[in-house]
Amino acid sequence: MAPADAAAKTATASNLFNIGAERLVLLGKHHQALMQGYLDGFIDETVFSDVALKKLMGARILWRPDEQQPLALRPLVSELIASMVADENRRQINADVAEKLEQIRNRVQAYRDAQYQGDYSVAELQLQRLTEHVHDLSGQFEEAIDSLWHRLNSDFGFVSSLDDKIRENERAQKQLRRLLDGLDLLDFNELIELAEGNSHLRKLLVSQLQSQLSSHHSSLLEVQKRLLELLAKFRQQQSRSMLINNMAAFLRQHPKYQPADYPNRSELPLLFNQAAPIVPQAAIALDKASERQLLAELVRAIPKATSLPLPDQQSADFAIALQDEAIAARQQALKLDVENFYLRVIDSTSSLSALEYLAEQQLNWDSEIWLYQIIAEHQGLPADEKQMFALLRDEAPASSMNQLLLIRDISLQLQTA
Amino acid sequence: MLQHGALLERLLAGAFICRVSDEDAFRHVSDEQSQHDINHYLRPLNRRLVSNDDKSVYYLAYHELNKTAREHLSNQFSQTVQSLLPLLEWLQLVQETLGRDSAITAGDTIKLQEFVLRTEDNQSLRQRLNQLAADRFFNSQSDALDNQVKLIFRRLKEHGYLLQPHHDRQYYIVTGKIDYLIDVIRFIRDEEHLPVDDTPTQQALL
Repeated sequence: MAPADAAAKTATASNLFNIGAERLVLLGKHHQALMQGYLDGFIDETVFSDVALKKLMGARILWRPDEQQPLALRPLVSELIASMVADENRRQINADVAEKLEQIRNRVQAYRDAQYQGDYSVAELQLQRLTEHVHDLSGQFEEAIDSLWHRLNSDFGFVSSLDDKIRENERAQKQLRRLLDGLDLLDFNELIELAEGNSHLRKLLVSQLQSQLSSHHSSLLEVQKRLLELLAKFRQQQSRSMLINNMAAFLRQHPKYQPADYPNRSELPLLFNQAAPIVPQAAIALDKASERQLLAELVRAIPKATSLPLPDQQSADFAIALQDEAIAARQQALKLDVENFYLRVIDSTSSLSALEYLAEQQLNWDSEIWLYQIIAEHQGLPADEKQMFALLRDEAPASSMNQLLLIRDISLQLQTA
Repeated sequence: MLQHGALLERLLAGAFICRVSDEDAFRHVSDEQSQHDINHYLRPLNRRLVSNDDKSVYYLAYHELNKTAREHLSNQFSQTVQSLLPLLEWLQLVQETLGRDSAITAGDTIKLQEFVLRTEDNQSLRQRLNQLAADRFFNSQSDALDNQVKLIFRRLKEHGYLLQPHHDRQYYIVTGKIDYLIDVIRFIRDEEHLPVDDTPTQQALL
């Protein structure tokens, strides 16, 4: 009986092995088309042959959700891919603990029954299944926590808008609460009871599972804290955006809007108390002998003033000085010419006409200025010298009606004493 | 006080100290003992160290409000009120131009070139920027987009809203002074009971 049973089992196992391996190969063989199907949400049937399609459907990789619908990946396959590539848009979180717990209870019972009956190979098998269930349970939490952290660390970057981020955050928090509720379902007293008197079970259900789950529990609490912080940040950003948009809209609608005179309120809001700037200034001080060396170096370091011609430095003062100089030079020349005229008069014995001299010498002085300067020079002479020159004015009335005498010319002659 | 010398100078000159503008200085002003020391020093200058509610940005306020202080504050307040709309419009423009999902906040980096490139090809953004640049607050005389953007960013830098880490590189970091601006807006909104909403309705959440 027993050998036949074992043979049948081996046959089933090898059959399972063959089918499983074959179907896994199918996944690999069509990996690109299947992955495209994952991204598109449906399968492009034209890239497969009919046989391949049948095989894929038979392997429960593809299915047709509805007669009208195109082929798609089965949810479990999608889930597998999402988990492998950590695609947070599609990754599923399984928070169902009750079912797993039920399976664990059943397996423990089956294991104990087999042991009681002395069927050790069955007991061994049951223990192995039980181990798998326990690992599944722990792995389920691990997967969920990994997914939560992943979403958290990317700031929910897999959705674009802030509203979506807030929704995703809230969804994550709901998942997290379900996971925590699931953890609460685990009653360690019950597990201790289940494991009673068996060191294998004790190790598996109590020491191992307990330590794993308590670490999951603290991870989940940490994630929860961070999720709440992030949600607060998102909300803050959202409210800031709204404030900016709505305030801008309000100000655009009310261009003349003027808020109350807060700076002159007796209770000044701190926000509007912003002191005027003070810029501290400092200059060189000469009172510390010890710093003289340093100061001397600073002075030496000052670039020497170069005597570059600076065309735009012609200030008003400079221009006036220039003018004065030109006038002074002309005046000097006039004075010199007049003095020459006087010397000529001294040399000559007869009377000399000023205008004739001017013409004769081809001096280009204005005749009026010329005459005026000769008179001025005469006036400026010391009294005794003045008498040596006889100054004769050739003058006539301005008109018959006007008695004003105009000087036409001046004759000068040396008077012999 | 010597250790705070540079910090004091900046504060006295009217700077806003935040984590972005100067992390070291920010740590100092956040420390209670340093605050005490700084305030002790500032007392004869009729100044004191204050912060916004979130303590994300520090600046100097008057200790006693005498007549000159009030006059200065009045002036400043009217300037602040005038600058509100251009600043808000700039915030909106940056958010939309750079395609962000939320308003810019302290620490965000803005690349000038990216901003120019995106504005160039979009007629409506281009027009809004044109209007903004001509606003009295920015007061641009130029028609060239590049000059307008540069001027806007330079003015914001002068006002302490932006920080240019490298003088010759055209990218800017938003400083904590933006938090101050938001606080001012929120304050005015609350005080004056303006119909300006900032809480998303349940509809928007669902």
